[in-house]
Amino acid sequence: MRADGPDSTITVESRGEHLLAVRFTAMASPCEVLVPRMSRETALAIGAAAAEEAWRIEKKYSRFRNDSVTAWIHGHRDATIELDEETASLMAFASRCFDLSDGLFDITSGVLRRAWTFDGSDRIPDAAAIDRLLPLVGFDKLQWHPPHLMLPAGMELDFGGIGKEYAVDRAYSLLADIEKIPFLVNFGGDLRANRPPLHGPWQVAIERPDTHCEATLLLDLEHGALATSGDSRRYLLKGGIRYGHILHPGTGWPVPDSPRSVTVAASSCTEAGLLSTVALLHGSGARAFLEEQDVRYWLL
Amino acid sequence: MQLKPKPPRIGSAKMRRGLMAASCALLGAAGARAQDTHAAPADSGILEDWSVDSALAYYHEDGRIQAIEPIVNVSKLFADGETLSLNATFDSLSGSSPNGALTSHTAQTFSSPSGKAAHRYSTAPGQLPVDPNYEDDRIAVGANWSVPITRVTQVSVGGKVSGEDDFYSVTLDASIAHDFNEKNTTLSLGLYDEFDSLRPIGGAPAAGSDYALAEKTGDKTKDGVGALLGLTQVMTRNWLSEINVSVDRFKGYLNDPYKFTSIIDGAGSTLGYEYENRPDQRTRKSAYWDNRIAWSTRLSTAASLRYMSDNWGVRSDTAQAHLHWSLSDNRYVEPSIRWYRQTAAAFYTPFILSTSEVPMAYQSSDSRLGPFHALTFGFKYAQKLPGFGGRAESEFSVRAEYYQQILDERTPTPAGLQGLDLYPDLKAILIQVGWRF
Repeated sequence: MRADGPDSTITVESRGEHLLAVRFTAMASPCEVLVPRMSRETALAIGAAAAEEAWRIEKKYSRFRNDSVTAWIHGHRDATIELDEETASLMAFASRCFDLSDGLFDITSGVLRRAWTFDGSDRIPDAAAIDRLLPLVGFDKLQWHPPHLMLPAGMELDFGGIGKEYAVDRAYSLLADIEKIPFLVNFGGDLRANRPPLHGPWQVAIERPDTHCEATLLLDLEHGALATSGDSRRYLLKGGIRYGHILHPGTGWPVPDSPRSVTVAASSCTEAGLLSTVALLHGSGARAFLEEQDVRYWLL
Repeated sequence: MQLKPKPPRIGSAKMRRGLMAASCALLGAAGARAQDTHAAPADSGILEDWSVDSALAYYHEDGRIQAIEPIVNVSKLFADGETLSLNATFDSLSGSSPNGALTSHTAQTFSSPSGKAAHRYSTAPGQLPVDPNYEDDRIAVGANWSVPITRVTQVSVGGKVSGEDDFYSVTLDASIAHDFNEKNTTLSLGLYDEFDSLRPIGGAPAAGSDYALAEKTGDKTKDGVGALLGLTQVMTRNWLSEINVSVDRFKGYLNDPYKFTSIIDGAGSTLGYEYENRPDQRTRKSAYWDNRIAWSTRLSTAASLRYMSDNWGVRSDTAQAHLHWSLSDNRYVEPSIRWYRQTAAAFYTPFILSTSEVPMAYQSSDSRLGPFHALTFGFKYAQKLPGFGGRAESEFSVRAEYYQQILDERTPTPAGLQGLDLYPDLKAILIQVGWRF
């Protein structure tokens, strides 16, 4: 059963004998909403609500679209602009996370992407290229007095680091309000469930990034959120050293000795996503960092 | 050009709490402004932003006073890192409290502070004189607000008010803490000011006056200021050390209005009593050193030493250690031990000799100013329980402590009082049940 959305299609199919999966694509990831067996029309309506929220957020914050809020912000550098309430909330959140993580989480670090192309090749940028970009990184270089922002010339904002997890939480809250059934929202591996279906907990499989290791990690999830950060697909390999795609905003380089993938469980996807990203940026200290945050986590 | 990741700080689970509050603010706020009319905040229920720590304690001294004390502390962490906390304590004490007089071979009769005939009490020969009508209810409320003013500096202000039948107290405090050295070092400075007003039952006795004359004066006050300087340092990934030094100075009416000292003759017979008389100023200095070490994810220890000395001649040492052992993800135990020793105030005396030539300018027989040592053994068990109202979990705990205090009195005992237990030990237990969510 299908219905056409503005940018994509939504399909409904069986998942095992107890569940239906409503699937669509958003944020360059396969997305789905899992619900117990019910009429396909109802399942489609539920999934469509989640899909539309995902597409709304994607459209609003995409750095690839020229009608997004991000593009609008970039088109008004060196000027004081007033952000809408949702964007101002995201900025406030990013600001707080910048403080809490001592600067490791920094939504202005996207410019470093200009030096790096993570395509599995061995094209490591030279240090000079990165040094030229570092002065353009630093959340504390913005002038942010909510809801007014002044983005200096040359700097960029990238909401991609929190966008997918935020979309999961927003879709979750839409569904939690209108539906009294158990459901699980999963956008490309960042997921959240409200309660388990009657037949037992949700069974979540986390892929192992290393192709040598076939077995996936299977978890039983009752409720809550999981987010995974890692470099399974986007990396560079040179001289036997693997350079993951999450860059340390202070140095412009990937953090050495990071785990390949970090999955964190928390009560919201935004929180889980933040912790998994910041854990990766702790490199060899990822495990110790996660231990002291007292959360469930899996390092791979 | 690759930075080594810095070692994580111990005890910075503050990141997670701050993150939870920030996420709540983001998702709750965004929910309220959603474009879809059906949207609603997900887990931003009121309870989740607040954490509550409550406990009920029962304290009992062998043959002396007992107390029941419920406490509740509520704190809220805001999205921008500010914290507001409110606390309230209620104490209900009753039982027998030593009145400062010395045990004697003969029975002794005393009037109570209230002066009511019905409250007169007697002490049998050979027993420590205690006022059996001791009763007091105290209520205290406090608030504290702390705010990060920069990424590395935090300021906090607080106040507390407490009241009981015969005593009121108001305290204000402020402190500032600054992190540097990549947050491995924290320097803090705190100041406080306290004002106390006493309205002793029956009036405050004139200091050093004859008990029999019952010379009572009116209400009294005292006030004090204190300062504390602290340094906390992350020594290694698993070891946190803290040093602080503090000084405080109180002036005003520092006597215990209900205590008096026995006047005895050379044979040990009690001739009369004199209300105690303490100086009207007291300055105390102390230094404290605490070390916390995490041996593994399940086991950590904390050990501290404290030294205090004041201008009344009291010096004290405290050594304390406890161990935190997680039996599983949901349960932990904390055994603890504390040793305390103090020397007597210069004017402390268990009795006044009528035959002594020189009258004492100041005197007090309050055993809390005397020489003693004490040992406390404690044990706490805590269990995590499922949460409610959107919370992840809650914690239930029970704690028991056994305290034993032994007086180290060296004053020669008059011949006539040999064989009497003049300085009995004090034993006490504390049981506290707590719930944190």
